[in-house]
Amino acid sequence: MGNRIEVDRDRCKGCGLCVVACPKQIIELGREINLKGYHFAVQVDASRCIACQMCAVTCPEVAITVIRAVRKPARTAV
Amino acid sequence: MATEKLLMKGNEAIAEAAVRAGCKLFFGYPITPQNEIPEYMSKRLYEIDGGHFVQAESEVAASNMIYGAAAVGQRAMTSSSSPGISLKQEGLSYCAGSELPVVCVNIMRGGPGLGSIQPSPSDYFPATRPGHGDFRYIVLAPSSVQEAADLVMDAFDLADTYRNPVLVLGDGLIGQMMEPVVFKDYEPRAFDKTWCASGCEGREKNIINSLYLEPSVLEEHNLHLFEKYAEIERKEVRVERYRMEDAEIALAAYGTTARIGKTAIQALRAEGLKVGMIRPITLWPFPWAAFREAAPGLRFVLDVEMSMGQMIQDVRMGVGEACPVHFYGRVGGMVPSPGEIVARVRALAG
Repeated sequence: MGNRIEVDRDRCKGCGLCVVACPKQIIELGREINLKGYHFAVQVDASRCIACQMCAVTCPEVAITVIRAVRKPARTAV
Repeated sequence: MATEKLLMKGNEAIAEAAVRAGCKLFFGYPITPQNEIPEYMSKRLYEIDGGHFVQAESEVAASNMIYGAAAVGQRAMTSSSSPGISLKQEGLSYCAGSELPVVCVNIMRGGPGLGSIQPSPSDYFPATRPGHGDFRYIVLAPSSVQEAADLVMDAFDLADTYRNPVLVLGDGLIGQMMEPVVFKDYEPRAFDKTWCASGCEGREKNIINSLYLEPSVLEEHNLHLFEKYAEIERKEVRVERYRMEDAEIALAAYGTTARIGKTAIQALRAEGLKVGMIRPITLWPFPWAAFREAAPGLRFVLDVEMSMGQMIQDVRMGVGEACPVHFYGRVGGMVPSPGEIVARVRALAG
């Protein structure tokens, strides 16, 4: 699996700071609402995620986890 | 302790400030976007001696519980958001009639009806033209988390000084936003509590009541209330004049809208337009005089609200015929951008 984020949907208050912070513009506030009644953040195109963590650092509710793809170990010449 | 800077959500800062101001009793009922206030209180109040939290069965019940708490001389608070405040108005009117010092926080959301849960300060009318009967709330309108914490502490002292309900009027943005806050050292002052129903051994009993069936007695009571309100109007007006020294154009805004307006003013000043702002901090008593004094030197006032024009009535009352008063508003939980205000001022300035 590639880079992606996980949003704790019921912690999100839909402030949209991550939407602004994402340099790839792949986070949006979704149409669904969470338990609190807010439109929570969703990553719309994980394939372009660079795992820069800007969204997670920006999130005042600490609701975003960034999952970095496991890199294949570089092949080293013997 | 005093210099400790904390990053807190507005609602939590409001709750913590209340506790530090000696509030030991909180009665609440859930409603977004103020839920963090009761949530915080339900934990925090049990860390202090004599602290209690009750989730009431309804908003009406909660507002009558603060009535009871204040009647026995305790500092008590309740909080809600717009639709819930409609219900609390009943108990608060009783508190005003019985001259009880209580604090109520309204973290406003969109309306009318159930409206929305987004920031929408559209309860200016019910705050400044309150529920049934002839009375006033003292209304404090913070525009940052820091100011919310400071004003909540002041709210308890104002309530006790004048034995009257005090409303703290924030909105979903002030309540949900996280900002640095430094709690000021709260110094408890002594207030006269000899009127309380706190046990009458060795003295005449005190009766806390708002029912006056004899019209002449009720008239006398209401006149007494309005002597008190006249004193509040003389002594307690709070207003921020932002960059008004050389201003030719003034914005009028409070709370969330004011902080957006300040950003707009920086942009407008960079373009060479001399714009300032008059920001009422007490919505009642309203700083009519600040507008009356400034208006003759202004080209116009732009009243910016997140409602369809409520405060503008008071702004017009202050400005009178001295200069035109224009309006810009967004509603329903839509938050205006600084750019929108800039564009509006630019268009009006010609």
